[in-house]
Amino acid sequence: MDAELAEVRALQAEIAALRRACEEPPAPWEEKSRVQKSFQAIHQFNLEGWKSSKDLKNQLGHLESELSFLSTLTGINIRNHSKQTEDLTSTEMTEKSIRKVLQRHRLSGNCHMVTFQLEFQILEIQNKERLSSAVTDLNIIMEPTECSELSEFVSRAEERKDLFMFFRSLHFFVEWFEYRKSTFKHLKEKYPDAVYLSEGPSSCSMGIRSASQPGFELVIVWRIQIDEDGKVFPKLDLLTKVPQRALELDKNRAIETAPLSFRTLVGLLGIEAALESLIKSLCAEENN
Amino acid sequence: MAGILASGLGVLAHLERLETQVSRSHKQSEELQSVQAQEGALGTKIHKLRRLRDELRAAVRHRRASVKACIANVEPNQTVEINEQEALEEKLENVKAILQAYHFTGLSGKLTSRGVCVCISTAFEGNLLDSYFVDLVIQKPLRIHHHSVPVFIPLEEIAAKYLQTNIQHFLFSLCEYLNAYSGRKYQADRLQSDFAALLTGPLQRNPLCNLLSFTYKLDPGGQSFPFCARLLYKDLTATLPTDVTVTCQGVEVLSTSWEEQRASHETLFCTKPLHQVFASFTRKGEKLDMSLVS
Repeated sequence: MDAELAEVRALQAEIAALRRACEEPPAPWEEKSRVQKSFQAIHQFNLEGWKSSKDLKNQLGHLESELSFLSTLTGINIRNHSKQTEDLTSTEMTEKSIRKVLQRHRLSGNCHMVTFQLEFQILEIQNKERLSSAVTDLNIIMEPTECSELSEFVSRAEERKDLFMFFRSLHFFVEWFEYRKSTFKHLKEKYPDAVYLSEGPSSCSMGIRSASQPGFELVIVWRIQIDEDGKVFPKLDLLTKVPQRALELDKNRAIETAPLSFRTLVGLLGIEAALESLIKSLCAEENN
Repeated sequence: MAGILASGLGVLAHLERLETQVSRSHKQSEELQSVQAQEGALGTKIHKLRRLRDELRAAVRHRRASVKACIANVEPNQTVEINEQEALEEKLENVKAILQAYHFTGLSGKLTSRGVCVCISTAFEGNLLDSYFVDLVIQKPLRIHHHSVPVFIPLEEIAAKYLQTNIQHFLFSLCEYLNAYSGRKYQADRLQSDFAALLTGPLQRNPLCNLLSFTYKLDPGGQSFPFCARLLYKDLTATLPTDVTVTCQGVEVLSTSWEEQRASHETLFCTKPLHQVFASFTRKGEKLDMSLVS
């Protein structure tokens, strides 16, 4: 209550100062001398500049540090936000003490390597008992656009008008993405001859070759999926490339069952250890 | 004699003080009542004042632009200062707008003397619902000073797993739980408020809103037996149930058509939000009526 009263007083003071600034009669410039003109300009400037530059700089500094802290805390970096407000209250509604306001927002930013641009509308209806707010429209543009999983996820978020789910899933997706990238990079550095990343560490597949066993190749496909509820989870698959003769010799059908065994392995050891054990098993001779 | 007078005066003075106290507290309670009445009016007043101030600011800026044009001819040094001031103000407005934007990510916060107070907002299907806060103290180890998270949300578990090692994961994980809880609560509330006509008994629910039990009829007042539904949401980060059982009360064996309906209801409850399922029930009911009329 006190804070609101203080705000009312501050607003009233500001409005009074602004009114004074507006009411100052415009000088007939042509008639006055050069010095008089500049004095008038400075006088007007001082009236309008009720906050000194120093205060502004302090306030700006404090808010900017709060912003950078929030950006670090959430991992989401918002660079721009603009909003337009439209009052949709009709006279009928005012009589019943109902207020209807439509806000149009546009914001853009990035979360690590993903940049987003959002346009959405929020409808606020205030009646005597409470204030209800709802997102009535949501449009999302996201880059990079190569991941088909991301585009599906974006359409779902738009359909449900679920702003928060969008940011939540985006965060978890990026977390998995970065983890996959660093895992691939780490394995490539540790086993430079065995591991190859044809599309770089950011891609979803990693290949394992052995110089002593040409013709054998293992490809791990590690996809990051987002389900109906916005839950993010990894999905790993193993693809094998084996020479014809090896297939014929494979009485135990180890190669056929490899993809399934791989899934079990991941469940047991975790992703990183499972991948490493695959590398070691294919390149066993080299390691010795 | 002087002693008695003095004590008499003392008593009088005491009585006077009591009187002032009582009248003051009367005034205070009267003030409080009028204050509470004023609070609602204050909100609207602030809105109006803000609008007026923004309009006046724009007008002043416009004037300043024309003044600037004149000054450019008159005093070149002054323009640099005005430009700097304007640039600062614009930057300030920009930063304020971006800070406000964080509310729309579901996660925002304000710096405190101890650390940060994080505000988690929840929503379901675009409807903005309750917000919760977690006041964090930036120390080693990081700790939660106080919070408004309901007691049945496993805050300590999530904190034990992630707070010290990955604060982002902690916050977003908490977001998941709170948003799911908010969504389940919203569905149950909507069922109770919008579709009470179809319920044949009270909706039974637990505080976490992950166990719901209710009986309903598709044709209230009709002859059919009511259905009995039990919804269990084992996954606390989901807004759809994991286990659904629908039975028909008072009937041992169902005819094929009733069995089909029962099974379809079970599927519906698993795949669509609760209030939407009931909305589809009422729509079907309307369609039936129309066929009777023709």
